[in-house]
Amino acid sequence: MSQYLTSVLTEGSIFAIMALGLNIIWGWSGDFDLAFYGYVALGAYMTLVLTIGRPIAPAEYILGLQLPYPIAVLAGVAASALMGLIVGLIALRHLRGIYFSIVTLGAVYVVYVMAGQYVPLFDGYNGLSGLFDPMASTFGINYNNYQYFLLGFCFAIFLIIFVLTERLSRSRFGLALRSLRDDERASAAFGRDIYRLKLRGYVLGAAIGGLGGGLFAAYLSAFNPSAWSPIETIVIYASILVGGKGNGKGVVLGVFLISVLLQESTRFLPQIPNQPELVLALREVIIGAVLVLFLRFRPQGILPERRRVDPDRGDDGGGRPGATNPRLVDDLASSGSEPIAG
Amino acid sequence: MAAAILALSAVAFSLEYAVTNVANLSHGELLTVGAYAAYLVQQATGNVLLAALAAALAGGCLALLVHTTVIESFVRHGTPRMTIFIATLGLSFVIQNVLVIIFGATNVAYTIDQGAPQQIGPFLLTRTADEILVSAIVITAILYGIIQHTKFGKALRAVSQNRDLARVTGINARTVASTTWFLAGLVAGYAGFVLAESIGTFSPYFGFTFFLITLAAAVAGGLGKAFSTMAGAVLVGIALQFTGAYISASYELAFAFAILALVVLIRPRGLFTSARRSIFE
Repeated sequence: MSQYLTSVLTEGSIFAIMALGLNIIWGWSGDFDLAFYGYVALGAYMTLVLTIGRPIAPAEYILGLQLPYPIAVLAGVAASALMGLIVGLIALRHLRGIYFSIVTLGAVYVVYVMAGQYVPLFDGYNGLSGLFDPMASTFGINYNNYQYFLLGFCFAIFLIIFVLTERLSRSRFGLALRSLRDDERASAAFGRDIYRLKLRGYVLGAAIGGLGGGLFAAYLSAFNPSAWSPIETIVIYASILVGGKGNGKGVVLGVFLISVLLQESTRFLPQIPNQPELVLALREVIIGAVLVLFLRFRPQGILPERRRVDPDRGDDGGGRPGATNPRLVDDLASSGSEPIAG
Repeated sequence: MAAAILALSAVAFSLEYAVTNVANLSHGELLTVGAYAAYLVQQATGNVLLAALAAALAGGCLALLVHTTVIESFVRHGTPRMTIFIATLGLSFVIQNVLVIIFGATNVAYTIDQGAPQQIGPFLLTRTADEILVSAIVITAILYGIIQHTKFGKALRAVSQNRDLARVTGINARTVASTTWFLAGLVAGYAGFVLAESIGTFSPYFGFTFFLITLAAAVAGGLGKAFSTMAGAVLVGIALQFTGAYISASYELAFAFAILALVVLIRPRGLFTSARRSIFE
């Protein structure tokens, strides 16, 4: 039982990291990015090819190094960030709304097709495997205790990411991204460089996705195209939406409800013989339906994002109308005079 | 031939977009449902014509259902269209997996007699291919007639240009939108049938995969104008045939989106739309 619980919590921490990354792109910046699972996958693939060593024929894949796990994960994060930069450079320049989504959907399918069909890259549909208990020997952990170690490791990283994103969320950068989301034109009028800000948020989100992927690779010890599909992103979206888009605590709650509770509760349904995919399909029907229902009836989620209110807008009598919010004034002064991106 | 199927699928997608301003991500499932309906009817009766009819009807009914139960509810609630777009993705997920529950996730073989290939001009076509081509052209002609020359078509165009203004002039926008979705569903369901017939096998996920190519083609052609979408689809379809023949068919999807990325970068409004319509949201 404790073994099972450990496994569930580890997976939950990893999903929470991914969801926090996607929340930057969707929750703060307001872009419905369908490429996100591609960054997770790339992080996982890169981590694997950098740790599992030379390919043994007939398997083939690039690199095939045996680097220490943390370094491999960092390289995976860098690869995901780079891919995020490339996709963002194309998709964020002129595209918004559904056109942005469609182009990112295209981008992730290109990655998916390449990973599956182009064998020399990541061994095609066979995928990669063989990352067993990374860091175990370094820390001298035996096989029995390893899963507790992995849980601690993933949970610690989750906490770090959570604290960082919460701080960033309240920072000027987080506020600026939200201002773009709420009114791009007004924000541009205040001197914001929309393109660059959105791109920074996007790359940051992609990097966190890659980090989640790197941890996922250690958890699964393997990765192949049948283990992921671009549409997997929808589960993370459902988590963010249910918990509360834009609110870090809400996102974590959503991951707990959707990715942990729902996923695990359907596991206890009786299996029907000859129909192994039935329970899985049922779970996905529920997730899709939850997504639609929440969008219709509670789009702000269970824990809505707290909106900042300009203190001068209320009827406190004393203040001048307009920008006496110190934070706003401060921001204005420091925002520079870069041209407005179209 | 793939271009003809792509054109049918894309024109239906574009019609859905025109009247509700929603890019329907569950469009692929109309094709899938059409394929399953055709397969079931053909198993029961052995009649290809009945199978085609069943496919169209199944697609039409599903489209009507999706529109009246989900889309209309969102539209009436005043939900931003981006939110509806996300909801259709959730819907696609639901329909796919309901089909998995009913029929299982495995591929269904759907083989019918293709007929002997014959030479027509420079092309080598089978009888099935002839039928698909001819039916696509006939369907296009009928759609063109409906959209350009009937009162309903006029109402459809009015709703697609400005829903509120159309309603002010006494057009029942909801009925027009529902009817258009039903019409689009008929075409999409039929497209699903011919697609399954020409590939020879299908599964609950097959419509979604084909939909991705449809999406690339439709956006490349320009969304919302049925016939510019169609022109784009034919071009993309032919381009895919060539890349498929000369490089590899398994990269088809990647090529479709490469074309889309190029179009988006060079001519963001789509290839065949008037310059005034911007794609900025």
